[in-house]
Amino acid sequence: MYRLSLICLLLCAALTGTVRAGDRDTLSVDFSRPVNGLDIRHYLSVFSGNATASQAQGLDYRKDTSFFHRNKKLLFQENDGWFRLTIRNTGPVDSVLYLFAGWQERLFFYSEDASGALRHDASAGMMHYQPGADRWDSYAFPLHVAAGQARTFYLHVENPYYRENELMPVLYDAIHYAQFRHLQADRFKGEALVIQIVIGMLLVLLSITIINYIQLPDKPSMYFSAYLLGLILFFCLRLETKPYQLSFFHSMPMLKYYWDVPALICCFYFMPMLFGRAFLNLRERFPLMDKYYFYSNIFYGACIAACIVLMWMGDYSLPGQIFTWATFLSLIPFGISFVALGRRVRHHPLIRFFLYGSLGLYLLAILSFFRNTEPVPFTPLPELITPYSLLVVGVLVQALSYAAGLSYRNKLVHQEKTRTQEMLIKQLNKNKELQRKLNEQLEELVREQTTEIVRRKTELEEQRKLQMEAEYSKKFAEIELKAIRAQINPHFIFNCLNSIQLFVMQRDFEHAQKYLSDFSYLIRKTLDFSRRNFISLADEITYLNTYLGLEKMRFEQKMSFEILMDPTLNTAELEVPAMLLQPYVENAVKHGMTNEEHTTGLLTIRFTMIAHDMLECIVEDNGLGIERSRQLRTLPGHHQSSGMEISFNRAELLNKMYNTGIQIEIIDKSARGTQESGTIVRVLIPQL
Amino acid sequence: MIRAVIIDDERNSRDIIALMLQRYCPDIEAVAQAANCREGIAQIREHRPQLVFLDLEMPDGTGFDVLTGAYDATFETVFVTAFEKRYLHTIRLSEVELILKPIDRESLQQAVQAVRQRLHHPGKQERYDVLLHNFGKSAKDVRQIVIPLAGGGEYIASIENIAYVEGSTDRTLFSLSNGDLLQSRRPFRYYTELFAGMRFYQINNHQMVQLPHIRHIDHDNLQLHLHNKSVLDITERRKRELAAAWKQS
Repeated sequence: MYRLSLICLLLCAALTGTVRAGDRDTLSVDFSRPVNGLDIRHYLSVFSGNATASQAQGLDYRKDTSFFHRNKKLLFQENDGWFRLTIRNTGPVDSVLYLFAGWQERLFFYSEDASGALRHDASAGMMHYQPGADRWDSYAFPLHVAAGQARTFYLHVENPYYRENELMPVLYDAIHYAQFRHLQADRFKGEALVIQIVIGMLLVLLSITIINYIQLPDKPSMYFSAYLLGLILFFCLRLETKPYQLSFFHSMPMLKYYWDVPALICCFYFMPMLFGRAFLNLRERFPLMDKYYFYSNIFYGACIAACIVLMWMGDYSLPGQIFTWATFLSLIPFGISFVALGRRVRHHPLIRFFLYGSLGLYLLAILSFFRNTEPVPFTPLPELITPYSLLVVGVLVQALSYAAGLSYRNKLVHQEKTRTQEMLIKQLNKNKELQRKLNEQLEELVREQTTEIVRRKTELEEQRKLQMEAEYSKKFAEIELKAIRAQINPHFIFNCLNSIQLFVMQRDFEHAQKYLSDFSYLIRKTLDFSRRNFISLADEITYLNTYLGLEKMRFEQKMSFEILMDPTLNTAELEVPAMLLQPYVENAVKHGMTNEEHTTGLLTIRFTMIAHDMLECIVEDNGLGIERSRQLRTLPGHHQSSGMEISFNRAELLNKMYNTGIQIEIIDKSARGTQESGTIVRVLIPQL
Repeated sequence: MIRAVIIDDERNSRDIIALMLQRYCPDIEAVAQAANCREGIAQIREHRPQLVFLDLEMPDGTGFDVLTGAYDATFETVFVTAFEKRYLHTIRLSEVELILKPIDRESLQQAVQAVRQRLHHPGKQERYDVLLHNFGKSAKDVRQIVIPLAGGGEYIASIENIAYVEGSTDRTLFSLSNGDLLQSRRPFRYYTELFAGMRFYQINNHQMVQLPHIRHIDHDNLQLHLHNKSVLDITERRKRELAAAWKQS
C-alpha cells in the first residue's frame, strides 16, 4: 500500500509539470496513456456540508486536502461532502478513466452534460443496495471524456458511520483498476478465512451448547447460546466472499450497522454478565457482585436500546461513542469484580473458567488496542483496530472458556447427580435392607410366637395330662391306702386281737389258734389285694368268708351270714375289683346288728351273672335300712363310716382308668314297700 | 375296794377287762357290765361306781353319751378302745385315762393307779367338764386344756390364753397372756403333738408360740415381741416363714 502510494506520489510529481500547464482547476490527463492510481486530491474542489443534488453546481467549492485521509478515521458526526472534478482528455482518442474514492458508506456520482445540466450517473457504498448488482463492482466511477474535451464531475460522499475508511480519490485506467481490485480481493480473502474459521468454531460450540441445553435445560447454557448466536451473527455480517459484498446479508446492508455496537455491547458485556450471574450462581454466592452485574446489565441493555434507537433515527456515530465510554466506564468495576472473583477461585472451580475467559478477551483486546496500527485516537472500537486477529483470538478464548466452564459445570452437576443418585440408591438399598430385616424380624417374631403358642399349648396339654395322671395316681394311691384302712378297720383288727387274747386267757388254744391263722390270712390278703386292682371272684369269696368268720367270732350268735352263688359261675375266671365289696359287707355286719327287731343280724351275699358279660353282686342285710341309719348318724359324735364312700370313689376311679362300667346301687328295702327292713347294695361288674 | 362298771358292746372285751381286773387289780371289783350306752347309764345310776371302764364306740352311741347321760353321778372314767384316733385328742386335752385293746397289764395298772390317786382327792371333776366341752369340736375350735402341774394338781387353761410353750427336760413351761408361768409334768413333745393343727408355731426345738400373741417381729435383731411383754429369739431361717404364718393368722 505504501509502495503504491509512493509510486502515486512519484507519478504525481512527474505529472505536475504537465498539469500545471493547463487550467489550475482542470486536470489534464492523456487518457490514452496508462493511469495507475493518480492522486487527484489537488484537483478536487471540496464542499464540506450538507447539500442536495440541485444545489451541487452552485456550491462554494474550495481546494481542501484536509478532507482526505489515507487511514481509517474515527468520526464523531456524519461526514458529508461534495467534490467537483474537471478533467480534460489531452489524449488523441475519446476514452475513459475510473475514479475510485475508497470503500465509503454512500457515494453518489454525477456528471455535467453538454448543456451544463447535472445528471446522476451512479451510486455506490456499503450502505447501498442495488438488486442484481455487485456492490464490489460499482465502487469505481467511469469518467468518459472525449478527446481534447474537458468535463466536470461531481461526487457526493455521505458517511453517517463512526468510522470512515481511507478517503483518497485516485484515477485508474481499466487495466490498473483491475489490478488494484485483485490486490484488494487477496487481502480480504485472508480476513474472510479467519472469520470463516471463527464462525465454524462458534457454530460447533453453539451446536454443542444447544444439544446440552436440550439435554439439560439451564440458564447458563441458554445465555451462552445467545452469546454465541450474537457473535456468529456479528461475524457472519462481516463474512464476505468478495470485499464489501456482505454475501449472506447482501440484500440487507443496514443490518451490519445495526448489529455492530449493539452486538459488541451484547456479546462482550451484556450476555457474558448474564451468563456469569447464572453460571456462578452469584445471587447465592456473591450477592454484592450479583447486584453489580444486575445493574450493569440494565445499563448495557439500556445502551443497546439507545444505540438501536439512535441508528434507527439515522445517527450511527453516537453509538460508537456510547460503546467507547461504556467500555472505559466498565474497566475499573470489571477489574474489581475480576479481582474479587480471582480471590474466590479456590472456593469455586467454575470461577476459573469465567474469569480466564473474560480476562483473556479483555487482555487480548487491550493488547490489540495498544498494537493498533491505525493512527486513530485510542479507541476500543474493533472496527478501527488492525490487526483484527488478536481480538478474534480473545473472543475465541472467551467462548471456549465459557464452553469448557459449562461442560465442567455439567460434569459437576452430573457428579452431584451421580452422587445423589448413588446416595439415593444407597438409601434405597438401605431401606430395602431395613425393610427386609424388618420383615425377617417380623416373620421371625410371628414364627417364634406361633411356635411359642404351639409349644405352650402342647406344654399346657401335657401338663394337664400329667396333672390328670398325677391326680389320678395320687387319688388312686390315696384311695388305695384308704382302702386298706377301710378294709382292715383298725377297730376290727384290735377287737379281733382282743378276742384272741381272751381265748388265750381262757386257755381255749384251739380257737385261739384257728382265729389267729384266719386273722393272719386276712391281713396278708388285705395287704396283697390292696396293691392289685382286680382279683378273681374265687379269691374275693374266700376273703369275704374269712372276714365274716372273724366277725362271727366277735359277735357270736348276734350275727350270721351266707354267701350264695350261681353254681355255673366260673369263679376263677371272673374278675372283680379287689375288696370293692368289703366295706359294704362290713357295713352290713354293723347294720344287721343294730336292728332290735332281730336278735341276729343276717347277712346275705349273692353272685349272679345277669348277662353274659355282667356280674351282679348283692350284699343284703336285715338291719334298719340305710335311711334310718343315716338319720342316726347325724347325731353328734356318731361314727361316720367312710368305707362305703371310699368304695364308691374307687369304683368311679376304676371306671375312669379302665373304662369299666362298674355301677353301685344302694337300695333301702323299706323303699320297696315290703315289711322287711334292711339295705341292699347292688354292684354290677362288667366282665371284659 | 373300788367299785367298777364295765361298758362295752363286745362280750369278749367285757370278759377280758373283768378277767384282767380280777387278776391284776384285785382292789377293783367289777360290779356290773353293760353292752350299750343306755344300759350303761342305767347300771351307773344303779351301782354308783367309783370307776367306769367305758368303750368309746357302741351301737347306740359313744362313751361321751354315757358321760353326758350320767353327769349327775360322780366317778372316774377309764376309756377303753381298740382304735380311736378321733377322740384321742379330746381325751388327752382333758387328761382322762385311756387304755387300748388288746389291753396289757402295765397300761391297765397305770390307769388304775392314776384313778386311785384321784379318788384320794375327791371333788376334782373339772376334767370331765373340759372333756365334754371340747367334745365334738375340731382341733382348731377346742377351748380348754387341763394342764397337770409339776407340783401336783391341775390347772384348767383357756387355750387362747397360752402365749407360748417352752420345753425343759421332762417338763413344759406355759406362759399365759397375763404373764403367768405354769409348769406341766408332760414333756414338750407331748404338747407339740397335742397342739398340732392349732394356731401354734414352733420357732425352735423347745419353743412354740401362739401366733395371735405376737405383737411385733423384730427382723433386725431376730426377736419376737409378744403382747405379754415376753421376748423370744428366733432364727434367721424360720423368720420369713413365721412372718408369713403370722400374717395369715
